[in-house]
Amino acid sequence: MNVAGADRNRRLVTAGAGTALALVMGLALLAGFRLATQIRSSITELQTASELQTYPSVLTQQLTALRQRLETREYTGQAHEELAGTVARFKHDLRRLARRSDMQSPQLRDAQRMWQAYSPLLAPILAFSGEPYVDTDSGSSLSDSGKMYYRNVRQAQLLAKQNVGRLHRLLTAVTRSLETQTSGAAARLRLLLSGGVLAALALAAAAAYLQLTRARHERAAREAQEQTRDILKTVREGFFLLDADYKIGSVWSEALAHIFGRNDFAGLSFEKLLEDRVPPTTLATAVKYIKLLWGDRAHENLMKSINPLGQLEISADNGRGGKETRYLQFDFHRVVGAKGVKHVLCSVSDITSNVLLARELQEAQENANAQVDMMVGMMHVDPLQLGSFLDTTETGLQLINAILKEPARTDGEFRKKLGGLFRELHSIKGEASALNLMSIAQRVHHLEDMVSELKKRAELSGNDFLPMVLKLDELLAHLRGVREMATRLTALKDAPAAAAPAAATRQKPSPAERPAGRTGEDISPTLRALAEKLAKDHRKAFKLMLSGLAEVPAPYVATVKDCLIQMLRNSAVHGIEASATRRAQAKADVGAVRVDFRRAGEGYELVFEDDGAGISPQVLKDAALRKNIITAEEAAAMDTRTAMALIFRPGFSTQEEVTMDAGRGVGMDVVARTVYGLGGKIGVSTNPGRFTRFKIVLPAAEAASSAVA
Amino acid sequence: MSAARGNGKGGKRTLKLLIVDDSNIIRRRIERSQQLEELEVVGTAANGLEALEMFSKTDPDMVTMDLTMPQMDGIECISKLVQLKPAIRILVISALADKATAVEAMERGANGFLNKPFTDRQLNEAIAELIT
Repeated sequence: MNVAGADRNRRLVTAGAGTALALVMGLALLAGFRLATQIRSSITELQTASELQTYPSVLTQQLTALRQRLETREYTGQAHEELAGTVARFKHDLRRLARRSDMQSPQLRDAQRMWQAYSPLLAPILAFSGEPYVDTDSGSSLSDSGKMYYRNVRQAQLLAKQNVGRLHRLLTAVTRSLETQTSGAAARLRLLLSGGVLAALALAAAAAYLQLTRARHERAAREAQEQTRDILKTVREGFFLLDADYKIGSVWSEALAHIFGRNDFAGLSFEKLLEDRVPPTTLATAVKYIKLLWGDRAHENLMKSINPLGQLEISADNGRGGKETRYLQFDFHRVVGAKGVKHVLCSVSDITSNVLLARELQEAQENANAQVDMMVGMMHVDPLQLGSFLDTTETGLQLINAILKEPARTDGEFRKKLGGLFRELHSIKGEASALNLMSIAQRVHHLEDMVSELKKRAELSGNDFLPMVLKLDELLAHLRGVREMATRLTALKDAPAAAAPAAATRQKPSPAERPAGRTGEDISPTLRALAEKLAKDHRKAFKLMLSGLAEVPAPYVATVKDCLIQMLRNSAVHGIEASATRRAQAKADVGAVRVDFRRAGEGYELVFEDDGAGISPQVLKDAALRKNIITAEEAAAMDTRTAMALIFRPGFSTQEEVTMDAGRGVGMDVVARTVYGLGGKIGVSTNPGRFTRFKIVLPAAEAASSAVA
Repeated sequence: MSAARGNGKGGKRTLKLLIVDDSNIIRRRIERSQQLEELEVVGTAANGLEALEMFSKTDPDMVTMDLTMPQMDGIECISKLVQLKPAIRILVISALADKATAVEAMERGANGFLNKPFTDRQLNEAIAELIT
C-alpha cells in the first residue's frame, strides 16, 4: 500500500510539473508571437526609415533640377510633379514613423521639427500651377508668377542644400535606433525560442517519465495479478468472498471447483452451494451463522468457536457415478472496511483424510486399551481354560464360516442360516463373557446385532451376508492376537520354570485323542467368575454352589460348560429376583444357584437349580405368541409340559431388551441341541415363585464320542 | 430466586448482572468467581420465567444464561429479554456443546457463548469480552 501511495505521489508531481512546463511553453509561444509581430512592424518601419534617409538628397536633387530647368527655360512640369510626389511620400512616411507610440527617438523629433520649419518653404512651390514662362520675341522668359516660383525654388533649394546633410544624419540616426530596437527584439525572440525549446524538451522528458512510470506500474499490477492467479490456482483450500447478499464473488481458488465439482460460483448464494449436500437443519444453521458474521455482535474468536461448519459432513460424487461421504472444514474471516464488514472471506478444505485418520487413531487407541484390558483379564484366567476357550471359539467360528458358505437360495434357507449363525455366536459370546474377555464378547455381540438386523428384513440375499464375513475375519484376527498374547503371558508366567509348551497355543486335540476316562479342565473358576460378573451387571445377589464339576470327563467339558453358562445367565437374568422382591416374598435376600454333576449309572447327570421366580407357562406361551412361534389356537391347547418345552425352541426368549446376557432367544435352544447331539436328554421342572430345575442326562463318554462322530 | 444486595461500589458506574441457571451450584459458582469490579450481581434465577421476573425488578445490564431449564428455556428467554431491552448483553453458559444451539442463541440476541464446564478464568474472560 505504501509503495503504491509513494508511486501515486510521484506521478502526481510529474503530472504537475508537466502541466507547469506546458503553461510556460504556451506563455513563451505567446510572447514570441507578440515579439515576432513587433519585429515585423519594426522591419517595415526600418524600411520606411531607410527610404526616408534618401529623401533629403532626392529632394535637394529635384529642387536643383527644377531650378536648372527654370533657369534654362525648360519644361518643368515633370520635375514639379516628381518633387510633389517626393514631398508627399516624405510627409506620409515621416508621419507614419512618428505615429508609432514606442518611437521615442529625439532625432526623429528633430527631423520632424526641421521638416516642419522647412515644409512652409515648399508649400508655395507645390502650390504653383500654370506656366512659369511667357514667350517673348527674344525667347521664353519667366512670367511674374514664374519668377516668384523660381525664387521660391531657389530659396528652398539653397536651404535644402544647407540642411540636407543634417536631416540625412538625423534620419540615419533614427534608422540606426530602429535597427538596434529590432535586433534587440530578435535577440529576445531567440532567447524566448530557446526557452520554449528547453520547456518542450523538459515536457517531453516528463511525458517519457510518466509513460515509464505507468508502464512500470502496469507491469507491477500485471505481476501482482499473475501472482494472485498463481496463488488461487495452487492453494489447496477453496477460497472465495461472500458479499452482503451472502453471494460468492467473481474470484475463487481452483481448489473450490475440485471440492464442489462445479465451476459456476460467481453470484451463487452460500445456501445454494450447500443445498442438496447437507441436511436441511445443518443448512439452516449455516445460513444463520453467515448472517451473524455480518453483524457486529460477536467478535471473531467467538464466531470461530461457534462455527457450525468446522467439520461438515457432505455427500459428494465419487467420480464413478456414486456418492461418497466427505468432510469439509469451513473457516470464515470478516473483511472489515471503513463502513464495517465489506466481505466475508471463506476458506474450505477437504479434511476427509484427517477425519478418517483421527478415527483410525481413536480406534487404534480403543483397541490398545481393549488389549490392555484383555491382557489384565487374561491374567486372571487359568491358561488351560483360556486355551480351551480359544480352541472352542475357533471351532465355533469355523462352523460359522461353514454356515456362511453354505449355498442358499430360498428365503427359508437364508433364515435357517441366520438361525444357525445366531446360536453359534451366542454360545461364543457366553463363554467369552464368562471368562471376562469383553473385547471378544463385544465383537461377537456386534455380529449378533448384524444377524438380528438381517432377521428383520423382509427379503434376504447372499450379498446381505458379506459384511458379516468381513466382521468375522476381523474377529478371527482378534482371536489370533489374543492367542499370541496368551502365549506371551504363559511364557512370562512359565519363564522361571521353563515349563512345557503353553497350553493356550496347543492344538485342540480331537475327541478321539482324549482319554475317555480322564477328567478335563476344572470349569468351576469360569462359572464363579461369570456368576460374579452377572450378579454385578444385573444387580442380583446370589450364591453359586458347585459340586462334582472336577469329575466332568474331558469330552463333556465343553458341553457341560456351554450348558452351565447358558443356564447361569438365564438364572441371573430371568430367575433370581432382585433382593427387595425376594424379601417381599419372604425369601432369603441372597438367592442360591446349585450345580451338581455326578455319575449316574453308566452315564452322568447334571442338575442345575435356582431358587428364583420359576417359569410361568403362561408367560412362556404369551412370549411365544408374540414372536409368532406358536398360534393362539396352539397356545390355548397347550398343556404345562408342552409349554415348558417352548424354552428349547429356537428363537425363543422372554426378554424383550437385548443385552449381552439375554434377550436373543438362543441359549436354551443351543443347550438342548448340544445335549441331544451327545445322545443325552434335558428336562425342566419349575414351581413359579419357588425354583427352576434343569436336569441333563448324558451317556457314558465313549458313547458320546461315537454320537458326535 | 434471590435479589442480591448491591455492594455499593462507588466511583464509576457499575453494570448490573443477573445470573440465570437451574443449578444452584452453578449460580453460586458464577456469583463467586466473577471478579470484575464494574459488575454487580443484582439477582439470580433458576428458569426463564424467574429470569423475566427478576429482570423487571432489577433491570440488569448483563445476563448469564443457561439454555436447558424447566418452565421456560434459555433460548426463549433470550428472545424475550432482547425484546424488553435491546441493549442487554447476554452470555450463554451451557453444557449443550453443539454449534447449532450456539448459533441459534446468537441469532436470538445472545452476545457470547461459554461451554460448561468452565474455569474461572474462562468465565471472567467471556464476561470481560461482553463488557468491552
